[in-house]
Amino acid sequence: MSAPQIPNLNTLRRGGGRGRFRGRGGHDGSASSSGHKDRVVQGTDNDASVSRLSAVGLGYLVDPFARALTPMGQETRRLPIINRGTYVRTTAIDQLVARFLGLTEDSDPSWKTKKKQIISLGAGSDTRAFRLLSLRPALDIVYHELDFAVNNTAKIKVIRGTPMLQRVLGRPEDVKITDAGDELHSPAYHIHAVDLRTLAQKVESNALDARDPGHRLHELVDSNLPTLLLSECCLIYLSPSDAAGVVRYFTHNLFPASETSETLGLILYEPIRPDDAFGRTMVANLATRGIQLQTLHQYASLGAQRQRFREHGFDGGQAAADVDFLWERWVAEEEKERVSGLEMLDEMEEWKLLAQHYCIAWGWREGSTRFNSWRELEQQPAEE
Amino acid sequence: MSDLDRAIAQLRACRLIPEAQVRELCYKARELLIEEGNVVCVDAPVTICGDIHGQFHDLMELFRVGGDVPDTNYLFMGDFVDRGFYSLESFLLLLCLKVRYPDRITLIRGNHESRQITTVYGFYDECIRKYGSANVWRYCCEVFDYLALGALVLGASSDLESSGPSYNDTTQSTMSTEDGELETEVLNSKGEVLMKTYKQRPRSSLDNGSTSPPRTQSQTSMRTGAPGTGASGGGGSNNSSRTGAVLCVHGGLSPLIDTVDKIRLIDRKQEVPHEGAMCDLLWSDPDEIDGWGLSPRGAGFLFGADIVKGFNYKNDLSLIARAHQLVMEGYKEMFDGGIVTVWSAPNYCYRCGNVAAILELGEDTSNGGTVTRSNGDYNRSNGILTGTVNKQTLRSPGRRYRVFEAAAQDTRGMPAKKPVADYFL
Repeated sequence: MSAPQIPNLNTLRRGGGRGRFRGRGGHDGSASSSGHKDRVVQGTDNDASVSRLSAVGLGYLVDPFARALTPMGQETRRLPIINRGTYVRTTAIDQLVARFLGLTEDSDPSWKTKKKQIISLGAGSDTRAFRLLSLRPALDIVYHELDFAVNNTAKIKVIRGTPMLQRVLGRPEDVKITDAGDELHSPAYHIHAVDLRTLAQKVESNALDARDPGHRLHELVDSNLPTLLLSECCLIYLSPSDAAGVVRYFTHNLFPASETSETLGLILYEPIRPDDAFGRTMVANLATRGIQLQTLHQYASLGAQRQRFREHGFDGGQAAADVDFLWERWVAEEEKERVSGLEMLDEMEEWKLLAQHYCIAWGWREGSTRFNSWRELEQQPAEE
Repeated sequence: MSDLDRAIAQLRACRLIPEAQVRELCYKARELLIEEGNVVCVDAPVTICGDIHGQFHDLMELFRVGGDVPDTNYLFMGDFVDRGFYSLESFLLLLCLKVRYPDRITLIRGNHESRQITTVYGFYDECIRKYGSANVWRYCCEVFDYLALGALVLGASSDLESSGPSYNDTTQSTMSTEDGELETEVLNSKGEVLMKTYKQRPRSSLDNGSTSPPRTQSQTSMRTGAPGTGASGGGGSNNSSRTGAVLCVHGGLSPLIDTVDKIRLIDRKQEVPHEGAMCDLLWSDPDEIDGWGLSPRGAGFLFGADIVKGFNYKNDLSLIARAHQLVMEGYKEMFDGGIVTVWSAPNYCYRCGNVAAILELGEDTSNGGTVTRSNGDYNRSNGILTGTVNKQTLRSPGRRYRVFEAAAQDTRGMPAKKPVADYFL
């Protein structure tokens, strides 16, 4: 089957880069081509924030921080199926996060009151940290975001210039920004400049190098808190060995399992099913934008995603569902009606196709404090 | 060479015509369309096409596969615009062909031929981008209001002449023609036969499932006879019967419409309403349900096999052809062959990876080419003389599907401007 492609000329025009953010070996291709690839991946964040603002503007989502964290002049109205997809992805992850944080009424009192930690991988311009941090002091959390320095610089610049965002972080004298402007540290919110691939290699070398970006992580992340790891379309851009290495860095180096360790949860949001007609076209289309979904074939199905969690030792539970299922089963009828009423969504078949090619997978490792709230969530029956 | 022929040549090259010419074209088209009834009568042979959605290069591929206008008689079931990057070029070309060869091409309205939908799904933006103002969009929308709501194909043949041996079939002539006569045939864009089905006698009433063929495999048996001879095994059995008419409509049926005549009573010259018969015809979908159901699209209804069977029986129809829904295999027959979805936009939105199809209905020459007009005339039935004897001998038309893929990559232009957010990243 031919896979006609409409290359994104803007992406291509950015041209071969200088390899500023290349990892420490282990990557094929020249320095310049891997630098170019990195920039393309960094650019995907822009896509996501523009889509989020579109969904907020049309009333799909409520997010007071969406406008501030979307680059100026980028506002575009997305197609209804993209808006609905953004809605389902965001609300489903919100629900998982809320349950993890004990924000739901049925959560265990001992779990509810415990301080918790979220580590978001490749967070980019995500607004979730601000949405949650604004719930303090009722909610006791620390939020870490990890991303390329270049993405952080942009975000930190916006935070500096936006009083609304600053207020969420608390007293200005508690907020420290590095000279390079690529890291931010405050009591409850940290932005770390990390090329995730270096974490993967750290697992291999087991080195504690002071110059290593992961060093500050070790220092600032509290290994004794119940912790939730988030990867929204992030690990999928890494090579399979790097993607596994990053998770292992957390499960082994930062949060080694022991008698006293606390619950460690992981939520993934990524494309699946690359082998049918839609999936093949998706892979080809993204390739023309220079985007390679490197672990897509490795974790091609819901079953493979669950197995991935098992292999990483998330033995408390492993679950997965595609976005089509989440829309059908997780969104209440009344809410579905509200969302359907926002825009005429004519392309039902296309929606199903698209939504069946993205999944959310979640799993956890038991800790000393009892964590139950993910158990009763409905997941998609195994098809493979 | 007339101005119109020049415009056609220019549009075929995917180049737009000046705004003044668009205005004139739309005016002429409206004059022509206003004369058409809500339900246009079309004589077989005809090639029926589904959604195009501005995929201009794929429309060119369609003409390559199905033959050119005016050599081939075409019926397009709407959704010419939106989603693809070349809605203007596609729609204006079809409109030019309509004005140039009014008897060789029929255009009916899809749910995207609407002011409201085109502002959401891209056609409006494309007009602004390519012409610098909303004028051309306004001219086109005025034409949309005059498009017919449906078509009735008359005189289609129940016999399908074989195009040759099944592609990939290595057994060669093992089955007898006892199975029945050729009913459907699926060809690829090179004209090679991918699949055949035969009429079963007697037709099993239990066989109520939908058929949707595998993408490439030849599934059925060969009939005897040299390739291309169209061996006519089952031919003489049922000579007295005739093929019912084929109703073509973009979406489907409406609970407010129980006869084709009722479609004729609609005042169609308006924007597509949010509800009512006209809306339903453009928005509804068949589904595996009993009776009527709510549509997840928020407009139109879902309708089941019983509704289709009842409607076809009451209206002497042998088939409803409709578009509106993406089907990965290009076409999908449902309800014992009572309705078919035809989809003509390959790799829809440059993203879905589907193939496209067109449906060819042959001409019934058994009566020396005369067409039974009964179904086409307004108020033809007074409800008394429609004998059931006649109805039982209604036969479904032979159906030849030509399946094709998206046009080759190098013929496809670049998007005019901003890339779309195709995926979640």
